[in-house]
Amino acid sequence: MPPSRPHIVVEDLRIGWGARVLMEHVSFEVKRGTTLAILGGSGSGKSTLLRYLIGLEQPMAGRIDIDGVGEPHVYSGVPPFGVLFQSGALFSSLTLAENLALPLTTWTSVRGPLVQDFVQAKLDLVGLGAFAGHFPGEISGGMKKRAGIARAMMIEPDLLFFDEPSAGLDPISAVELDHLIVTLSRHLGITIVIVTHELPSIFLVADNCIVLDKEAKGIVARGDPRRLRDESAIPFVHNFFTRSSPSASAARER
Amino acid sequence: MSVAIRAEANGERTSLVPAGAFDLAHASAVVRAVEQAERDLIASGDVDLHLSALEGIDGSGAVLLAQLMDRLEARGLRTRLIEDHNPHAFRLITLYRERRVEARPQPARRMGPLAQLGAAATGVPGKVTGALDFLGHAAAAVPKAFVSPRSVDWSSLPRLMQAIGADALPVTSAANLLVGLIIGFLGVSQLGRFGAVVYVPELVVIAQFRELGPLVTAIVVAGRSGAGLASELATMQVSEEIDALRSMGFNPVSWLVVPRCLALVVTVPLLTWIGDVLALGGGLLATMASTDMTPRAYVLSTADHITGAHFLNGMIRTPFLGLIIGLIACRQGLAARGGAEAVGARTTSAVVMAIFGVIAISALFTLFFTMLGI
Repeated sequence: MPPSRPHIVVEDLRIGWGARVLMEHVSFEVKRGTTLAILGGSGSGKSTLLRYLIGLEQPMAGRIDIDGVGEPHVYSGVPPFGVLFQSGALFSSLTLAENLALPLTTWTSVRGPLVQDFVQAKLDLVGLGAFAGHFPGEISGGMKKRAGIARAMMIEPDLLFFDEPSAGLDPISAVELDHLIVTLSRHLGITIVIVTHELPSIFLVADNCIVLDKEAKGIVARGDPRRLRDESAIPFVHNFFTRSSPSASAARER
Repeated sequence: MSVAIRAEANGERTSLVPAGAFDLAHASAVVRAVEQAERDLIASGDVDLHLSALEGIDGSGAVLLAQLMDRLEARGLRTRLIEDHNPHAFRLITLYRERRVEARPQPARRMGPLAQLGAAATGVPGKVTGALDFLGHAAAAVPKAFVSPRSVDWSSLPRLMQAIGADALPVTSAANLLVGLIIGFLGVSQLGRFGAVVYVPELVVIAQFRELGPLVTAIVVAGRSGAGLASELATMQVSEEIDALRSMGFNPVSWLVVPRCLALVVTVPLLTWIGDVLALGGGLLATMASTDMTPRAYVLSTADHITGAHFLNGMIRTPFLGLIIGLIACRQGLAARGGAEAVGARTTSAVVMAIFGVIAISALFTLFFTMLGI
């Protein structure tokens, strides 16, 4: 695969439910080894767009191409990516080690002690090396998310999707998670698509971003988040990055 | 693509040169190559791991090479990782070595059968205490509902009666109709041996009205609505909705348990009554199909044997059967802790316990009425 080819190509995507169009004319690319943040206010469709990117929903129109192979489909074999869901989505009846071993034993021929070695290495990587025998109900929310990342990486994908990884975490846990994401991106060269509206996370982890707006039903801005923060003339984008609200400003002036 | 680790001795220094694809797809070959290299290595000084010949590496390959370096160091050798224009592999192996946790986790805490038995036994007092505590709260919630009507979610009562009563009507009706058919066929086959087919209507009335009507209806409701209520409350518990109720000053027992139990207390007798009527129809069908008794004779005989004692003997217990289903289902639902697994476990417990409770309560009533000679 030539390095110059984008890892993800989305062209003229239209998504929605029934006759209701949620977003249309959505086009963007993600370069290999970079981190793209999908930004937007609550209800703008960030997580919904992610569901289409990972193949859980089929678009009304348009094209999603991952790795030059085509549109992702669930149940079509080894998934070409890993996904961290908002809650971590660990299986509560399995220990962390069993959660991590599941994709490895399902999709690869690795068996026996080697499974434990790989599981332990991934747990060590995310700082949960001492918790292999714990059940998800016995660990904190931040630890669940780190375990979710480790599980997403078990079959060594070169593409990871994160749905609001910092949501609900204390600032220290959130920063630790952000640094873990940066480590994965920089050290392992993994392409990352991250849905978030946490500004510190965006500036720390993202190389590029797209900003969604529910009024515009699509992308209203794209590029380096730091440049958008400093230079964007679009009111919604400016307000988003400066955490200001027109109605709050008006209320203060009154 | 062959995977191997070549060893090159250079004085006191030995170079290990892994070649090929060190990735998850070739994990078994990588393991063999690593073991071979470890066995063949007879160096006693420094070992350099050169990354120039690697044709590909991912986390799995990096883990295995990191482990190789760790084991060599454990043998007293000094190891060095030589980047050799392969910064990706260098970063990967370094990362996994840096993040390695020295303190291994405790083995998974799986209990043996004896320990499980002990744990179950030690848990019994706590379960009994919890059940009594819940019963006390439920009992206290009833007078409170009259004193402070706003403590109960009365608005949910019609919906609950619809779900527990009207929606369950087809299945309880069908079950009772079939039970009537079974009693009828059984009566014809057994009483017919003595030429006593004329007593079949009386048998159907007594068996259905006094025992089987309430029992069958309550078992079906326990399986259907008991599971529904338990899983609903368990889901509310694990998703913190119950905590939200508490934080807003609501008593979950008053707010949720009282209307559900009340709906069951009202609907189980109604379902039983309708079921009794249909069971008589089932008995009629069975008798018509297998004897020459006329429908008119069957109906007149049935009417003669439906007495207040038979009817009340069965109907008096039905509110209690509804109550026990509601209490058990709500108790199990509210006791859920954890995630999806807890919801399933509590729902299963609720159904099993509710069915057993229904049979036990019914048996107690039968014993009581038998002792009174009713």
